[in-house]
Amino acid sequence: MSILSIEFLLLAAGTLIVYYLLPLKIRWIALLCGSAAFICLSGWHSAAHLTAVALVMWGGGLLLQKHRSRLLLSGLLALDLGAMAFLKYYPVFSGADLLLPVGLSYFTFQSAGYLVDVYRGKTEPQRNPLKAWLFVGYFPQLSQGPISTWKELGGQLLTGHRLEPENIVSGFQLVLWGLFKKMIIADRLVATTAAVLQGGELPGWLILSGTILYAIRLYLDFSGGMDVVRGFSRMAGIELPENFRRPFFSKSVAEYWRRWHITLGAWFRSYLLYPLTTSHAGIALGKAASRIFGKKTGRTVPTALATLIVFLLIGIWHSANWNAVIFGAYFGAVMAVSTLLEQFWKFLQKRLKLPKGGWMTPVRLLRTWLLILIAQYFAFTPDPSTAFSLLGGTFRNWDFSGFAERMGAIMTGQEWIITGAGCMIVLIVDILCERKKDVCGTLARTHFWIRWPVLLLLILAIATFGIYGAGYDPAAFLYTQF
Amino acid sequence: MEGRETALQEQAAQQKARRRKLAGFGVRAVCFTVITALLLSYAGYVFTSKSDYGICSMMTYYRQKPDTVDVLVAGTSMVYAGVNTNILWKEYGIAAYNLCTVEEPFWIAYHTLEEALKTQHPKLILLDAKPATYPADYQKRGRVILNTFGIRDLPVRIRATLASVENPRDALGYVLKLPEVHSAYKTLTWNDFILPPDNEGRGSTWKGFNEADKIDGHRTFDLSFIGARLPINAREEEYVRKIFEMTKEKGIPLMLIGMPCPNYFQDYLYYNTLWSIADEYGIPYINYNLKKYQIGLDYLKDFADWNHMNVNGSVLFTRRLGKDLKEAFDLPDRRGDPAYDSWEECAATWKEQYPNFISSDPEANPLGW
Repeated sequence: MSILSIEFLLLAAGTLIVYYLLPLKIRWIALLCGSAAFICLSGWHSAAHLTAVALVMWGGGLLLQKHRSRLLLSGLLALDLGAMAFLKYYPVFSGADLLLPVGLSYFTFQSAGYLVDVYRGKTEPQRNPLKAWLFVGYFPQLSQGPISTWKELGGQLLTGHRLEPENIVSGFQLVLWGLFKKMIIADRLVATTAAVLQGGELPGWLILSGTILYAIRLYLDFSGGMDVVRGFSRMAGIELPENFRRPFFSKSVAEYWRRWHITLGAWFRSYLLYPLTTSHAGIALGKAASRIFGKKTGRTVPTALATLIVFLLIGIWHSANWNAVIFGAYFGAVMAVSTLLEQFWKFLQKRLKLPKGGWMTPVRLLRTWLLILIAQYFAFTPDPSTAFSLLGGTFRNWDFSGFAERMGAIMTGQEWIITGAGCMIVLIVDILCERKKDVCGTLARTHFWIRWPVLLLLILAIATFGIYGAGYDPAAFLYTQF
Repeated sequence: MEGRETALQEQAAQQKARRRKLAGFGVRAVCFTVITALLLSYAGYVFTSKSDYGICSMMTYYRQKPDTVDVLVAGTSMVYAGVNTNILWKEYGIAAYNLCTVEEPFWIAYHTLEEALKTQHPKLILLDAKPATYPADYQKRGRVILNTFGIRDLPVRIRATLASVENPRDALGYVLKLPEVHSAYKTLTWNDFILPPDNEGRGSTWKGFNEADKIDGHRTFDLSFIGARLPINAREEEYVRKIFEMTKEKGIPLMLIGMPCPNYFQDYLYYNTLWSIADEYGIPYINYNLKKYQIGLDYLKDFADWNHMNVNGSVLFTRRLGKDLKEAFDLPDRRGDPAYDSWEECAATWKEQYPNFISSDPEANPLGW
C-alpha cells in the first residue's frame, strides 16, 4: 500500500481517530492495529517477515540483556541482516523471483540498531512483544523510513499523547506540503528522466538538464514522502527524526550526506563507521599511518578507509548492480580524499586567504553540486555504459536548435509551467527554512483567515495538478524499492 | 488546606480552558472539512466532462419540475438519438425525457431509474432492449464516468459504480470523481464552471434528445422470420429482471423497445430471449426493426451510422412511436399546460435549428409546427 493511496489516507485518518478516542495509556494499541492492518494489506509475506524480525529483535534483546555476548549479537545480526541480504540479492544472482516485504531495509536496520543498542547498554530491552513489534512495524515509516532508534521512537510510540490542536494543524500542513512536492513536481519530472534515457543522439544541454532534474525529482520524491510520514506522526504527537535538511544547500559532499537521508547516514555512522575506526585494526592502522604521513594526516587514514567501506555498502544497499557499486565507491572516494586532504585544504585556505563565507559560498555550492551531479548519472541509468555514455555526451553537441520541439516532446507548456512554479515555491520555502525561518510553524500560528485560504489553495492544487488517479501508479515512490 | 484548594481550583480552570480550546478547535476543524468538501466537490463538477451523452442528461433531469415527466426513456445512445422528445411533445403532447447514456447496460438503467423515480412518477417507462446484446460484465473507464457521474445521490452512485467496475477497489476513484477527471484542467473552458451546464448550447430546458447529424447509409437483411435465440449475459439478465420487479412494485407501466438499426442481424437472437423474459412478467414490447416499412425508414438515408438514426430517422421513428404510445397507454396531452412550458421551449429551440441539420429533410418530413 502506497502512502499516497487513498487507502493509506483513510487508514491513517481512522487510526488517528481511534488513537485519540482511546484512554491515554493504551493509545499505542491504535497504532499497533493500524500498523497490523497496513502490513496485512501490503501482503501476508510482508507481515510474516516483519513479525519474524520483530520476534528476533524482541527475544534477542532479552537474551542480550542476560548474556552480553558479542557472539550472540553477531549471530542475531547475521540472522537479521542476512535475511535482508538474501531477499535483496539472491534474486539478482539466481534470477529467482522473490517477493520483497514492504519496508524490508528500514525495519531490518531499525531492529539491528536496537540489538546493538541493547548490547551496548544504551537501551533497555522491551519485554512486551507487541510493543517491540510496533517499534519495527510502525506503519507510516515502513514505506521509506526514517530509520529511528528506540530512544528516538520507542518511548514516543508507547506514551499516549494528548490531543493538541497545534500538532494536528502543523502535522496536516506537513502532509500537504509532502503531497505537493511529490505529486505535483516529482511525479511530473518522471518524463524528463525518461527523455534522457530514451537513447539516440541527445544534445549535451538536454542530458545535463535531465540529470539536474533527476536530482531534484529524487529529492522532492523522497523528502515529500518523508513529510507525509512525519506529518501524520506529528498529528499523533510523535516527532520522527528529520531525514532531509535541504541537501542542495550543502557546501561540501560531507555536509550533503549529513543532510541527505540523515537517519541512514546516522545508522551507518553509529553502527559501522565508528566501530570500524575504533576497532583494534582501525587504531593499529591509524598508528601505522601516523608514522608514514605524520600524526595529523595519519589519524585520518582509518576514517577515510572506513568511509570508503561505508559508502560502498550504502551503494550496494541501494541496488545490487554495478551502477550502485560505482555510485557508492565514487562518494566513498570523494569523502575519503577530502578527509585525507583536510589538513592540506586548511593550509591552502589559510595561505590563499580564502574567506569562509562571502564569494566562496557560491563556489563551494557549485563545486558540491557538480560532485553530486556526477553521481546522479549512475543513479538513474540502468548500467555503467549508459552512465558513461551520457556523462561523455554532456560535453558534446550543445546545439540549441530545436530546443522548443524537444521540450514540447517531454511535456506540454502547461506542464512545464506547473513544474517550474512548483519548484520555485519549494525553493522559496527551502531558502526561508535555511535562514532559520519556521515556515510551517508560522503558518500554523497565523490567523485562520490567512491560513485557511493557503491550505485550501494547497489542497486544490494537489487535487488538480497532482499526478494521481487513472493510469497512474501511486506505488512508484523511488525509495520504496529499497 | 487552602493551598490544596487553590491547586484544585487551578486544575479545574486549566481543564476548563483545555475543554474550551478543544471545542473551538473541533468547530474549526468541522468548518474546514465542510469547506474543503464543498471546494473539492465543485472542482469535481468543473473537471467532469459536460457530456450530453450521459452526464448532462442526468444533471438536467434533476431540474425538471417534480412529477412532470410522463414518459421516461431509459437506454443507450440508440434511444437518445432516435426518440425525438420534441416530436413527441409537439405532435402528441407527450412530455417525455430521454434519460440515456452511451452503451448503458441494464445495471446502469436500473440504478438510474432507482434515482430518477425519486422525483418523478412517470406514466410509462420505455426501456431500450439493446443491452440484452452486450456481452461484457463490466464497463470501460470512460463509460463508467458517463454513466455514473451525473447521479447526485451518493449511495445510488456508489451502487451504480460498484456494479460497473470489475475490481471494487477501482470504485473509490469514481466515487470521489477527482481522481478520474482532474487532468481535465488542460482543456477547461468557461462553460465548465457554470452551474447548471448549458447542455452544449441546447439550453437548460433540454429533454435529452441528441441529434446524430449526418447521413451514413447501410443496407440490411430482414431476418425477422427466424425465431432462433442466444442467451443474454447473466448480469444483464439479473438487472433487467430487477428493473421489471422494481417498476411492478412501484406500479409504473414499462415497455421494452427494440430500436431500428441496420446492425440488427445479431441483435434479434438476444431480443428473442429478452421478449421471453418480458413475457414472464407480462411486460409489453415492440421490436421496431420489424416495423421499418410501416415507419417509412430508408436505411440509406435515415441513419447516421450502423446504430443511430439521424434527425430525419428520428422524426419518422418518433411519429410512429408516438402513435403506438397513444394507442396503447393513457398518456395525457400536456400542451398548453403552463407547468410544461419547458417542453414547449425545448421544442421551439430545436425547431429553430431543425433546417440546419444536414441529415434532415424538412420538405420531406415537414414538422408542421
